[in-house]
Amino acid sequence: MEAVEYFEVECPEKAGGDYYRRIADVVLLDHNLIRVVLKLHIFIDPKVPLFVAGGVTRKLPGIVRLRDFADVNIQDRKVTISIGNEAYLAPLLQILWKKYGKDHVEQPDRFTIILYLDEEESRSLEDLPVFDPSESIYKDLIYALQVIQPEGFKVRRQYYGNGRFYLVASEDTLPEDIEDIVRQKFSLMGESL
Amino acid sequence: MILVPVTYKGGIYRHDEIIDLIEDLGGYIIQKHMIAQEVVLQALVPKDDIELIRKIGKPLTGDITLSPLVGTEIAVVTPSLEIHHLPHASCDVAEYIRRFGAKTNMVGLARGFGKRIAQLNDEERDVINEHDLAVYLLGDFETCIEKKFPVLRRGIMVPIVLCGGPPTEALKAIIDPPVDGYVGSIGRFMHRTKESDEISRLDDVVEEVTRVLDKKREEMAKDPLSISPARLMDIISEKIDEIHEVLSPTPITVQMGGLRVKLPYDTFGPVLRKTGIDEGVTIGDLAEVLPSRMRDYILIRIKPFSETNLVI
Repeated sequence: MEAVEYFEVECPEKAGGDYYRRIADVVLLDHNLIRVVLKLHIFIDPKVPLFVAGGVTRKLPGIVRLRDFADVNIQDRKVTISIGNEAYLAPLLQILWKKYGKDHVEQPDRFTIILYLDEEESRSLEDLPVFDPSESIYKDLIYALQVIQPEGFKVRRQYYGNGRFYLVASEDTLPEDIEDIVRQKFSLMGESL
Repeated sequence: MILVPVTYKGGIYRHDEIIDLIEDLGGYIIQKHMIAQEVVLQALVPKDDIELIRKIGKPLTGDITLSPLVGTEIAVVTPSLEIHHLPHASCDVAEYIRRFGAKTNMVGLARGFGKRIAQLNDEERDVINEHDLAVYLLGDFETCIEKKFPVLRRGIMVPIVLCGGPPTEALKAIIDPPVDGYVGSIGRFMHRTKESDEISRLDDVVEEVTRVLDKKREEMAKDPLSISPARLMDIISEKIDEIHEVLSPTPITVQMGGLRVKLPYDTFGPVLRKTGIDEGVTIGDLAEVLPSRMRDYILIRIKPFSETNLVI
């Protein structure tokens, strides 16, 4: 966990806390998330029982737009999109199909898409947001935290965005002041929620 | 004649001679694996003849080692089969015990997770009770083990070896009434056991399981079984032809006090009961033929001498 600036596991049972430190380390490594996390604080109290994991992410890659991975060629009403990186083809097609209908999106081969659009529409096409990597990274992060948490904690609350994330989980109904607890844990890292 | 459990590993070439030898000496082959060019035999052989088998096996690159767990069926119980316990911890332990000759079955409980919400249903209880021993693999926190273990052990009659994250002494302190064996420092973990200290903890589990089973064997020796399970297995595979069509790796699983026969109970239960062993004695006279809670298999529990007044 050298890549992570702050990493603490807080637990009333020392032995259990040490095991969970190792578990968190292994899980984040296995899910390729070590580079994403800047700070992480985990709090486990098996007596309550309560699991709180909160942290701060590094700067995440921005939104991928159409111009980032394809060339757009406009001739009158005919718009030809030549795909450079196939990784974003599927989300792009989904967006185009939804917007213009499947009948109006031609795909003569894997790397070419042809549309017939008005001038106004085709002008803004290059800036079309196709894929937001941060969304999937946050989802992966929350999933990894669910793997780390002790099993059987079925009552959960999660939050992500703005460079912050947290997951709280318990077997029983979450305490009403749960957000205060989370804020307190964030202040231990020198951050605020 | 004292039969001891052993594992024979050797080349595939002329391995049938070893099988014949063991059978001629009065031993029993419990299981035979063929892995590429290698044969692994798990067998019960007469104690005095181990040297002879070793001598005959040597030119065939065979090696014979004592495997204390051959002829036992062990349940490895985990609170669930979710990613929190699989594949590491539960699979690693189950696989490691298997290397010493035991037949292990993994029992993942339907609702065994959590501290307050953990449950054990009647089917799970009965399946665990069909084994010789249950290894419970619990988590890393003392508080949780203390609270949930009484629920998970309710109605379990077979010896229990409890594994958990806290040290062995701590486990002993929190479990009341005590169970038969404890292994600490092996709780929940998410990585493969490959470092030497982790392997040594798996060795501790095997050692504890062996100790508990030896104790059980001693208890059983005071009132011996009417027929040895291995011999009964031999008789069934000789007289019931359909058993050879079963594709399971062990169509007949040998336990310390009985057998699990992987044939449907409704069809073969009555047939087995009437199968003759020796001079008018049938399996039904010496053993209880019961439906198993595992699929539609048959469970045979051999009665002790005190009940039948017969030893064959």
